[in-house]
Amino acid sequence: MSNLAPKGKRAASSWNSIKNDLIAYAFMAPYLVLFIVFLLLPAFVGVYASFTKWGIIGEPKWRGLKNYTKLLNSELFIESLQNTLYFVVLAAIPLIVLGFLLALLVNQKLRGRNIARAIVFLPHVVSVAAVGIIFQWILERSSGLLNYYLGLLGVNPPINWLGDPDSAMPAIAITTIWWTVNGNMIIYLAGLQDIPEDLYEAARIDGAGRWQEVRYVTIPMLMPVNAFVIPLTVIACWRVFGQVFVMTRGGPQGSTFTIAQYIYETAFVKFDMGVASAAGVILMLITLSFTIIQLRAMKVI
Amino acid sequence: MAVSWRKDGVYRDGSLNYGRLALYAIMIFVAIIWGAPFIWMFVTSIKPDNEVFSYPPTWWPDEPTLEFYTRLFDSFPMLQWFRNSLIVATITTVLTLATNILAAYPLARMRFRGRRIVLLIILSTFLLPGEILLVPLFLGMIKFKLANTYFSIAVPAAANAFGVFLMTQFFLSIPVELEEAARLDGCSRLGLLWRIFIPLSKPVIATVAIFTFVRSWNDFFWPLIISNTDATRTVPVGLAVFVGRGLSMRFGVIMASAAAATIPAVIFFLLLQRYFVRGISTTGLQG
Repeated sequence: MSNLAPKGKRAASSWNSIKNDLIAYAFMAPYLVLFIVFLLLPAFVGVYASFTKWGIIGEPKWRGLKNYTKLLNSELFIESLQNTLYFVVLAAIPLIVLGFLLALLVNQKLRGRNIARAIVFLPHVVSVAAVGIIFQWILERSSGLLNYYLGLLGVNPPINWLGDPDSAMPAIAITTIWWTVNGNMIIYLAGLQDIPEDLYEAARIDGAGRWQEVRYVTIPMLMPVNAFVIPLTVIACWRVFGQVFVMTRGGPQGSTFTIAQYIYETAFVKFDMGVASAAGVILMLITLSFTIIQLRAMKVI
Repeated sequence: MAVSWRKDGVYRDGSLNYGRLALYAIMIFVAIIWGAPFIWMFVTSIKPDNEVFSYPPTWWPDEPTLEFYTRLFDSFPMLQWFRNSLIVATITTVLTLATNILAAYPLARMRFRGRRIVLLIILSTFLLPGEILLVPLFLGMIKFKLANTYFSIAVPAAANAFGVFLMTQFFLSIPVELEEAARLDGCSRLGLLWRIFIPLSKPVIATVAIFTFVRSWNDFFWPLIISNTDATRTVPVGLAVFVGRGLSMRFGVIMASAAAATIPAVIFFLLLQRYFVRGISTTGLQG
């Protein structure tokens, strides 16, 4: 953020400086009102609510840590944590690696690469509801497209993708990768285009081959890009909701029941706002600690 | 791109460059994987009932029909959902643009007390999972009797900090000299914003506008919980709640509704592609 330094000049007298501050805050006021009312305040109320018993009507009652102990003793919640972790492993790694590989591919000077970029990017503008509908049909057991082509490759008997607890989460992950890998591709592509050409030339003079170029120039130069692609991808995976809601509703046998699904059911079906908020806080702690550990490991902070 | 079509993938002596041909093969494979689901959705939507489950799957029906597209609007209040989505996305986008442009100016161009703190707090919300906000926002909307209104769906989305960040970045790149010259001519700060910053920032404003619009159009979790009548329900929520539930209904109608929801987005994207690419690559945020 070092390039966010101001370019204005420090006002001379103290009155001028106060006036200057007032003008600055007046400009920001409309946004700050939205920001405080709809983001900052709700975030604090959310944390507060996690320590209370709060229904849809009536006043909150302080419960201390009871919501948290209840959650940590709840089999359903622990299961949703495990399921979500499983999803993060299944989806986040391909989203990052494949995003990078796709960027490498469409960065090659190939004819038609712009068309390929556009096609891979297309799902980005499609709503999760439509994506979920399309993939339910593609993943359908007996007439689905995927099983038909897998069958041609010798995969038999057909996989009951969304109906079998073992394959449902991988199916959700496949859908998610198809839907969102393009964002990472575009970020890596921009990163690739920022790498100065002379670095590659220098590597070539030193006798580097194609893969050595990738290994010793491209990947190290993309470390700053990784520093935000990886946390944002992982956070997005921990929050998975729409795909599950549309395609499986958490089933079969709870195998795709995720934390966000737990929050949804607890808050908006059972109206147990306190427990749902505690689950939200736990989700926040998980994503935050992951981000910190990851940035530490990469020596960014 | 100095590749000639005839020679690409072929060495001068006429032998094949297998490495390049492999790259082309991979690229075509990738295009098929990402393109086929769209085509399959569309093809299914124009298949008569007796052809939907044909085996092996066919990529074009013997007797294509548009029946399902006409039936679509009788089966679901699709037009109403579209209208709602359009209104909600427009409110969010206009509100976002107006407030973000104003906020980005002092953040980029003025020295004032608390600037670092304000920036830090705004940017730190990028790491905040939005689920923590759902309960308080929901209870607040209920309390003020705002549930099932366009306001409740559209306005909270405008608090997102992505546009402020992007515009602040862009305003920083505008030369100070332009601003100083205008100030010497007695231009007020608001005048400056209007006459210098906004005209010079058209690309970034377009990027923020398009991004915000698409994000709002596709937003799912919040609209799902805060709207439960067709008077305010948006397209994704309508699709998820009524159409996509376990695919129990007739496939043609289901795929036609998915296609009807997807086709406008696809056209919108093809027209405005470069703004998406810029928005993602400069901020890393994907909405």
